[in-house]
Order: sequence, then C-alpha cells, then structure tokens
Amino acid sequence: MAEQQPAITLEKVCKSFGPNRVLHEVSLTLPAGKIMVMLGPSGTGKSVLLRCLVGLMKPDSGRIFIEGQDITGLDERRSAGREQMFALRRKFGMLFQDGALFDDMCVGDNVAFPLRQHAKLSEREIAARVAEDLERVGLKNAQRKMPAELSGGMRKRVAFARAIALRPKIVLCDEPSSGLDPVMSATLDELILDLHRTLGMTFVVISHDTAEARKIADYVGLLYKGELQAFGLKDEVLRSNQRAINQFFERSTEGPIQVL
Amino acid sequence: MEFLHFVRRALVAQFNGPPPRDEFVRHALDAGVGSLPLLTLLTIFAGMNLSVQAYGTFVRFGGQDLLGLFCGVGGIRELYPVMAAVICGARIGATLAASLANMQISEQVEALEVMAVDPMRLLVAPRLWAVTLMLPLLCGYADVVGLAASYWAATEQMGVNGGTFMEQVRDIVHLGDLAAGVFKGVVFGWLVAIVSCYHGYRALKRDGAEGVGVATNRAIVHSAVLCIVLNMFLSALLYVR
Repeated sequence: MAEQQPAITLEKVCKSFGPNRVLHEVSLTLPAGKIMVMLGPSGTGKSVLLRCLVGLMKPDSGRIFIEGQDITGLDERRSAGREQMFALRRKFGMLFQDGALFDDMCVGDNVAFPLRQHAKLSEREIAARVAEDLERVGLKNAQRKMPAELSGGMRKRVAFARAIALRPKIVLCDEPSSGLDPVMSATLDELILDLHRTLGMTFVVISHDTAEARKIADYVGLLYKGELQAFGLKDEVLRSNQRAINQFFERSTEGPIQVL
Repeated sequence: MEFLHFVRRALVAQFNGPPPRDEFVRHALDAGVGSLPLLTLLTIFAGMNLSVQAYGTFVRFGGQDLLGLFCGVGGIRELYPVMAAVICGARIGATLAASLANMQISEQVEALEVMAVDPMRLLVAPRLWAVTLMLPLLCGYADVVGLAASYWAATEQMGVNGGTFMEQVRDIVHLGDLAAGVFKGVVFGWLVAIVSCYHGYRALKRDGAEGVGVATNRAIVHSAVLCIVLNMFLSALLYVR
C-alpha cells in the first residue's frame, strides 16, 4: 500500500518584511489526520506561517508542500497558477482570528457560502449541511442572525462552522481561543477533537494557550523570533526539557523567551 | 504601477463573464436609486442658478432671449454630467471604498481568497458594472431635471418667453449632445468605480478604522479631481472641431 503523503511539509521556509525577519528556516512535517498546535508569543510569525501555508503570502525562500504538492512555485499572477492555487485552497478551511464573517450575510448564508461556491449540492442539501454544522457548534437557532448581533465566541463558532462546511482535509485555526472565556475555549477544543475523530481532518492550530496544546495536540511546535525552537510529538516535546518549552509551559519569565 | 496592476485584474474580472447577479443588482440600486434624492435636489438648484446668473449677465445687452441657448450648452453639455459624476461619484465612491476597506481590515477579502473565490470577480466586477451603467442614466436624469429647473426659473421668475427658451435649447442641443453626456457618464462611472474600489481594496488590516477613513477620503477626492480634469479633455474631443 502506498504510504500516505504528509499533510504539510515545510523546508527551510524564510519570510521577512523589510529588515524584519519573521520566519527563519522553518522546517517541519505534519502527517495527515493529526492535530498540530503551534505555540509562541505574540508577533513571532505564527500567523504569517499560517498565511504562507494557504498561499496568502509567499515565502522568500524555502518550500512548502501540501499533500506532496509544492505550492511555492505557483505564480498567482498567471491564470494557470491561480487556478492551481484555488484548487489547492479547496483542501483548506480556515478559522480567522476574528472570524472574518461576511457582514452583509446572515449566519446561515455565511456557512452556506463555500457550499454555494464549490459544492454541487441542491439548496435543500446545503440547508441540511448548514443546519448540521451549526448544530455541531451549538448555534442551531442562530441561522437568521446577522454577524453584528453575535458575541465574540458565537462569531468564532460560526466561522468554525463555515471553515468545515466543505469538509476540507486541512483546517487552519488562527488563535481559536483568544478572547474567549475558558468554557468557550474548552467547547472549541472539544469541537476540534470531535471533528478530528469523526472526519479525520488535519488541524493546524495557532495558539498561546498551553492548556489547549496539552489537551488537543498530537504535535506541538514553538515559534520564537521566527525560528522553530521545538517541534515534534507532544509527549516528546514536553519531555525534551528544552528551556524555551519549559518556560512557555510553566508560564515563567525566566528563560530564553523575552518580552518583546 | 500598483494601480495599473489593479486595473488589469479588474478588467479581466469585469469581462470574464456576467457579474454575480445579486451583488450587481444591490450595487446598481444603491448607486442609481440611492443617488436620486441628492442629485435631484442639487440639480434643481444648479439649474435655477444657471438661469439666474445667465439672465443677470445677458440682460445688460438685451440678450435675455439667449438664455435657453446658454442653459442648453452650459448645462447639458458640461454642468449636469460633471455634477452627476462629482456628486454621485462622491456618494457612490465613498460607499464602495468604505465597504471594501472594511472587508479588507476585517479579513473578509482574505477569507474569500482562502475559500478559493476570486474577490475581484465577486466584489469588484459587480461594483464596476453597476456604477458604469448607472452613472450615464444619472447624467441623463440630471440633464432633464436641470433643464426643467432652468426653464422654470427663466419663465416664472424672470419672465423669459417659454417658447423662445425651448426653441434656443432645440437649436443648440442635438441628440449627439445627449449621447455625449451619456458617454461621459459611462467614462466617469467606470473611473469613479475603479478609483474607489482601488482605494478600498488596498486598505490593510493594520490600518484599522483609520484605514477605512483614509480610503474613503482618497476615493472621493481622486474621483472628483479625475472626473473634472477628464471632462475638459472629453469636451475638447467631443465638441472642438
């Protein structure tokens, strides 16, 4: 049987904005169907990494493979490259930090949007999928509400329902627990675990939350000043006794990670 | 260069099939019907003012019967198309720029990209079509309202003979002038839409709410300046023989 391609492979990925080095030779391999939590202080390049994965930003050097396909060579200025990039992005769902819900659409239409764009489903089937996903995130009665009427936690849950509506292979979550109360954070963590179990999706979760990493991660990475300080299976990383990892998980001010 | 790159992408999106219907209808209604009250009010006063000012000058040498001629040339050829472009352009351009800038800073445009939906096709193309089609209609509407206001002021307030006024208008204003006004409307409409979409689209998340304000301001100012400057060249092209 052919070996399954890793979901994501990064090879010495570098990205700078002017003199500001955001990612420096970041390399990692994430097998398919696993949950990776990328930890790190604010402003250390976690969100940039996520944007590079989905082609919203192009690395200055290095290569990114999604299910074995090198995406760094795709030139979006050419229509063929853009088509390939769009085909690749259909493998992804993304939960943005603030939800990025469409203001002029109700909750139901927001969740239905990717289905209407890409799925060959009837309106009835779309309605059923929307209802199913909104129930999954505990918002089955919010279909007709507008995003402006929702709390921060509700917006994130709607965005989560939208991100998984097309049943993507890889779901990227940009700080899903930031700004949420502990109970709501735990609810989102349970959702990720549930989807991982039931649909076998690969998750890349950007977070500051070590409790979240302990709870849901198969793989853990720590990014600091654009460099990957640690990456591997969660238990191995936690046992590795690396100073940066210890400092982060013990919430200590003593160690290599300095307040920026 | 950045603007030219945006224009190229916008043109590809605009002419690559019909725009999304719902988005097009929404923006067309907002640009067209939404502009009517403001345009009507301002064109009425501009039209009446044109008559009043012209009468004050012409009456000195007994030329008050030429009022229709002046209102026809000055109004229909120049004033009303530019007024429609600047007034409606400011209103429409502000809406376009603010809505797109808001979508940019709240990551809605990036969300579309991630969902493999081309934002130029979904957001920019329907706005371009809507404004390009609505502004010439608004120019035509402004011609009618402005001329009617000039006529009313000339005949009711200054005692000019209505028949003479309309005869002068018919003598000087031909179908080609109306067509030229509509043509100007098409050009101004596309210009207002592309400039406004450009400024809205290039807002960055880090700019926050201020970025929306800056984009809106630039859209209004640049649209108005470009329309007025371009109007002179269009008039030279269309009327100078």
